[in-house]
Amino acid sequence: MAAELYYQAIGTLQSHSHLNNFDHHQKRYNNVVTLVARDFVSSNGLSIRRSNRSGQRSCSVIRSLASQTSVVDPVLSPSRSNAGDTYKKSNEAALILIRHGESLWNEKNLFTGCVDVPLSKKGIDEAIEAGKRISSIPIDVIFTSALIRAQMTAMLAMTQHRRGKVPIIMHNESEQSRSWSQVFSEDTKKQSIPVIPSWQLNERMYGELQGLNKQETADRYGKEQVHEWRRSYDTPPPNGESLEMCAERAVAYFRDQIEPQLLSGKNVMISAHGNSLRSIIMYLDKLTSQEVISLELSTGIPMLYIFKEGRFIRRGSPVAPSEAGVYAYTRRLALYKQKLDDMFQ
Amino acid sequence: MMMVASIFKYQPMGLHGWGIHDAFALAPRSCTNFEMFFSMRFASCNTRHHKLHGLHASISHASVFHPTSLSLSHHLSSKKLLSTQLAILKITCIPEWCSAISGCSDFVCFIAEAESTLILIRHGESLWNEKNLFTGCCDVPLTKRGVEEAIEAGKRISYIPVDIIFTSVLIRAQMTAMLAMTQHHQKKVPIIIHNESEQATTWTQVYSEKTIEQSIPVVTAWQLNERMYGELQGLNKQETAERYGKEKVHEWRRSFDIPPPKGESLEMCSQRAVAYFKDFIEPQLKSGKHVMIAAHGNSLRSIIMYLDRLTSQEVTNLELSTGIPLLYIFKEGKFISRGSPVGPTEAGVYAYTQSLAVYRQELDENV
Repeated sequence: MAAELYYQAIGTLQSHSHLNNFDHHQKRYNNVVTLVARDFVSSNGLSIRRSNRSGQRSCSVIRSLASQTSVVDPVLSPSRSNAGDTYKKSNEAALILIRHGESLWNEKNLFTGCVDVPLSKKGIDEAIEAGKRISSIPIDVIFTSALIRAQMTAMLAMTQHRRGKVPIIMHNESEQSRSWSQVFSEDTKKQSIPVIPSWQLNERMYGELQGLNKQETADRYGKEQVHEWRRSYDTPPPNGESLEMCAERAVAYFRDQIEPQLLSGKNVMISAHGNSLRSIIMYLDKLTSQEVISLELSTGIPMLYIFKEGRFIRRGSPVAPSEAGVYAYTRRLALYKQKLDDMFQ
Repeated sequence: MMMVASIFKYQPMGLHGWGIHDAFALAPRSCTNFEMFFSMRFASCNTRHHKLHGLHASISHASVFHPTSLSLSHHLSSKKLLSTQLAILKITCIPEWCSAISGCSDFVCFIAEAESTLILIRHGESLWNEKNLFTGCCDVPLTKRGVEEAIEAGKRISYIPVDIIFTSVLIRAQMTAMLAMTQHHQKKVPIIIHNESEQATTWTQVYSEKTIEQSIPVVTAWQLNERMYGELQGLNKQETAERYGKEKVHEWRRSFDIPPPKGESLEMCSQRAVAYFKDFIEPQLKSGKHVMIAAHGNSLRSIIMYLDRLTSQEVTNLELSTGIPLLYIFKEGKFISRGSPVGPTEAGVYAYTQSLAVYRQELDENV
């Protein structure tokens, strides 16, 4: 299996803002980390050209630092698992979606959008609770939005994870931030989970409604108009995004940056917001625009998908860490949990 | 005062919740990698004080960053004019204080103080602290214990006014600040300022004056980051001793001016941290804003070295407790150390100044 993986030191990841869809997108705000594979290695014969998708991008293979962790991770290493489905051969990866909990503006009933408001006490508890539910599900890489409430949710949740790896936020805002955040120990890197913040996973931008409460908004614009913005698929509030626009950039990001990780066998966690996650679920579950409007995601309750053979299989929400629940869904997950249990005996 | 009013125009709120101005390149010591700074224009928060309507809060906030404001303060010869100006600026920023004042004469006595508080919080345990690895500028989050320390710190400062928060760009400091503020008795909401790009600025705008009044801007700055440890980052003490030798490592950790390979010395860290403090944080204090800084061992030590005028020898021996906030009072250009706020129920630090005692009473009454 010895797939030879070339990796770069954490912090020297190259970032390219060549997402052609987003004209307004500027390099400095681009937290999308497009990792360029120097030596392409495939553990399961993937082709690197996906010309039917993001057309103009020539290289869409994503190499992440976690790639080497998944190979050497003793918990997932095939040599320790039973014959039959090894980690590599099953080509299966877990995808966890977590919607952050209550923020200080949720509490005050204000439209938040992309305003960077932190979690309330309740939101903090929800994040920790969510963490307990996923404490035995493997995670190799984490994607979050650029907003603190999603990042905090991910970091708080990971304090509960049993595997004990350390999430490290990737910085590539500038040359300095890249070089300053370099890690110089191999062992340490192996025990790290890269966290990639991206504005494309931000909440839907609410334009001129940001900061307003429902009353103010109804007064300013009229109730029907507000209802239309909130419930329609393609009508944006003034200077804001429609759900359609939000979906466009969120799903494009998912396909370009996250799906390749899953394809290469990485287990992914996404910590984001109501609208960006709905958009992704619309893609995963192939929902219509009508269906997605009615979709409500619970806060702080993680959702699990299994990515297998190119398809996303919804596995609901992990109930509680002690229940068999989701771990019974795939053998691999059950084995992972078993190993963690053994580690802690 | 008329001079003040004529220079600064009131900026209507409209579409510009939190505007972004040109790069703040005033200070000769501006750090090289500095990104765009901003001018925050808050809506008037003095709706109850019609006499002051002409001097809006926007002046007090914007003036700190406006090139003209600094030159104005440099040219002020009369100390009395300065203190009155500062006092007026302070009033427009802190409505909670104003409501405690009934008569005009009380008002004047009260505002003659022109003092502001400065809280320093060093973040608690991070996941690499727990594993005994050199962290530096690697962006590692808090452990469960670090989370608790942050909340505990928040309880200790829950009665101390905070108008603006500065943190580093590392998540452990930001989380510490956000967790601490969930414990604060005043109900304002911290909001992180984004100015990485045009889009970040537009997308994070707030469109309600009332909401802005109830917000505390959080400014993130790499200059407040932990000292960059270069090639030691990610190594444990054992690995490091093996790789470089024990004496060498001891020297890097304890000296003032010797950097580890590709890293910063404490001196280098101080240079950028103190420069940032002088350029961006001190003006806030001068204008009467109450400031909280959530940062790291070395960046905070550096600032304390400046506040307390320590020698390089003294600063290398200075150890800051994690998660225990330090309080300074800034008054008439001087920093007075007030130790650590003990517990929220104790009279303790609130007895240090009348302003703090009044503020606390206000909060208790509002609840």
